Amino acid sequence: MENKRVLIIGGGLEGVRTAIEKAEAGAQVTLVEKFPTLGAERIPRDRLIKPDNAFINPDLDKVRNLSDVRILTNSEFTKVTREGGKVHASVLKKSLRVDNSKCNDCKACIKVCPVNMFDDFDEGYTWRTAVDYFNPATGEYNIFKEDMPACQSKCPVHLDIRRYVGQIADGKYLESLATIRERLPLPGSIGRICPHPCETACNRQYLDKSISICFLKRYVADVEINEEVEPVYETPEKKHPEKIAVVGAGPAGLTCAYDLAMMGYGQIKIFEALPVPGGYLWVGIPEYRLPKKLLKREVDLIAKMGVEIQYNARIGKDISFEDLINDYDAVFIGAGCHQGLKLRIPGEDEYKGKGIVDCVTFLREQALGKFPEAGGKLIVIGGGNAAIDSARVGWRMGFDEVYILYRRTKKEMPANPWEIDAAEEEGVIIQYLAAPVEILGENERVTGIRCIKMELGEPDASGRRRPAPIEGSEYVIDAETIIPAISQGTDLSFLGEKHDFELSRRNTFQIDVETGATNVPGVFAGGDVVSGPDIAIRAVAAGKRAALGIDKYLRSK
Amino acid sequence: MVYEKGRRYIIPFDDVPADRAEMPEISVEERKGSFREVETGFPEAVAVAEAKRCLSCRRCLGCALCWAECEPEAIDFSIPDEELELDFDEVIITRGQENSFQPIDSHLGYGTYADVITDLQFERMLSPTGPTDGLVVSPFDGEVPRRIAVIQGNAEGDEDHFLSSLVLGVNESILALDRIEDMKVALVSPICQSFKKKFSPDAEKIPDLDIIEGAPESVERTQEEEPLILTYSQDGKIKKENFDLIVILTKPEISAEISALSQELEQEVL
Repeated sequence: MENKRVLIIGGGLEGVRTAIEKAEAGAQVTLVEKFPTLGAERIPRDRLIKPDNAFINPDLDKVRNLSDVRILTNSEFTKVTREGGKVHASVLKKSLRVDNSKCNDCKACIKVCPVNMFDDFDEGYTWRTAVDYFNPATGEYNIFKEDMPACQSKCPVHLDIRRYVGQIADGKYLESLATIRERLPLPGSIGRICPHPCETACNRQYLDKSISICFLKRYVADVEINEEVEPVYETPEKKHPEKIAVVGAGPAGLTCAYDLAMMGYGQIKIFEALPVPGGYLWVGIPEYRLPKKLLKREVDLIAKMGVEIQYNARIGKDISFEDLINDYDAVFIGAGCHQGLKLRIPGEDEYKGKGIVDCVTFLREQALGKFPEAGGKLIVIGGGNAAIDSARVGWRMGFDEVYILYRRTKKEMPANPWEIDAAEEEGVIIQYLAAPVEILGENERVTGIRCIKMELGEPDASGRRRPAPIEGSEYVIDAETIIPAISQGTDLSFLGEKHDFELSRRNTFQIDVETGATNVPGVFAGGDVVSGPDIAIRAVAAGKRAALGIDKYLRSK
Repeated sequence: MVYEKGRRYIIPFDDVPADRAEMPEISVEERKGSFREVETGFPEAVAVAEAKRCLSCRRCLGCALCWAECEPEAIDFSIPDEELELDFDEVIITRGQENSFQPIDSHLGYGTYADVITDLQFERMLSPTGPTDGLVVSPFDGEVPRRIAVIQGNAEGDEDHFLSSLVLGVNESILALDRIEDMKVALVSPICQSFKKKFSPDAEKIPDLDIIEGAPESVERTQEEEPLILTYSQDGKIKKENFDLIVILTKPEISAEISALSQELEQEVL
């Protein structure tokens, strides 16, 4: 019988000790450690020491000389699966970039390396260079390089932030903007509204506070407008012959069209159901956060690349989806999530349109200048960004009093904290730990809402504490208008009653994560219509992914 | 002048603001009844100064200076990454080398005072291959401390955690006392039963180590240049003492990566 194959994850004290034990018992051992060298010289935690033998651990030398132990340092798991009793692991062993059998430990490399980075092994106490040993006791050198800076790797579209921020520091604003546009055609819009995952990752936060990356992007976009520079997006002269249809002129569709035009596709047409471009950026994000004029300009620049945008063209009504598939070589669906979800409480259906309006409709009607009048008390129900936007819009429209009801506390609220603060500053009253029970009305009009007070119990699957109603705590708030803003869903009625698409339980498209392809050949999808309601920059990333997928599909045909 | 903030050192350049730029906004009065953009954008000087705060991180820059300097030609940027597909009959998950720990009770001054450090940092400081070659110095003023307190960083804990952190605390004290003459160490912890049974007799014999059964309450420095003041409770009484360095015994936590693997494989971490 072959020797038992044992995988040991982690090359610290316990990992090294266990590796020796297992190897001595006759097993074939593979020891995998994330850091570049093993580490076992630690002060023991299970016995008292004598001062001179504290850091001596003979295990480390021993494990390296055991022929039955294979040591994989600087390695990470890309995939692990367990099937039956067996474990399969895909391991990426990253290069040390130093042949340690040749190294003579002269440290000349360390003297010349200009990089100064925190030394993880020394618990951040010292600096090290990029070429160094992780564990000085083992003296194995390695050159440390990340694929991308932390900000860039966290950005869904991997903007070269370090470069464009550096260009701003050098006063090269338009060059900086060009850097951004290499991967993002909507810098002014995204630079205003992005919740900036890059800043959450920024290493400067460990010094003081993260860099204001998002607003710097906005800054260079504004410079171009203030200096009245009209950029021209150059596209290849030689065009591919294929026709591509894009459903929806939101961030996903616009980016997909932009990337395809950049690749040399000359016949791209965007079908937009609304009379305006931008999708949720236009009809969901209010003017005071993202001026329409600016959004329009960014869309116009894309249109000038030869991308045709047909407005008021709702698929399934003005044009059938079948025609689209037949007339075009590839279709990208970026239809978004434009359906407000219901509260499912009594009175909601009865007073729909009579004082009850969902947040998506409310924000859209307001953005299109169609919402009739404002007055009396407005109550918004929910804790996301759409709830805050609805409240702040309502306050601007002239509702006398604006309330938000949220069933958890401020800490659990999914909206951006700075938006919550702004709403409160403007005088929006947020009632935490309150949930709606029933919509009240009289004479065909909403008159108020019955609510119940909540308390937080045990954490649920999302890690947030689950709210539970407090019995007998019901109360009534008078209101003229009520806006449910609890979440949004897709509207896929444009596909017709019969279609072959694989959909998720949430009524979103199932796609191939690499290419954005749906199960129907030639049809790709991305953005909120796949992910459910999410942030714009992830829709942009989905548009980029699908553009690459479409190109691959068309070029291999 | 180098200054310290949140465990890190910072060099405050004149042209690099230490504070993140604030976005200018129109007033609440101006917003009422208007859809004018609230945030008005950075002025040029602010944008440039903010951009200069970027640390331009990316580890190796690919400048090849080391490669040119390396006489034995050991540095080789063409050594490729390897992708391995491996099969196993058994798997053992250990914590690895990433020393994650649970958040330390906030009133103990960790992150506020440079001379409040973790047991992990102290271990590196005591190590002959560590950042100070084994010399014990206060990161606050670079002086050799005369009075060190070793205290529990988390009030909540089970017997195992208290036992292993106490043994580490005593061991670190042994090393520190061995390195520096005329020094005293106080270990303040709700000493657990298993420690008392197994280790107390030996630990109590160590000269200049004072083992105090008590609960650390807070750490503060009331005046610049003055020692830290540790407040702790012992037998229901509140006591205050001055120290030059405070070492916090941390409560280990499994790193995110290891716990993801543990979840994937449905197996506990050793």
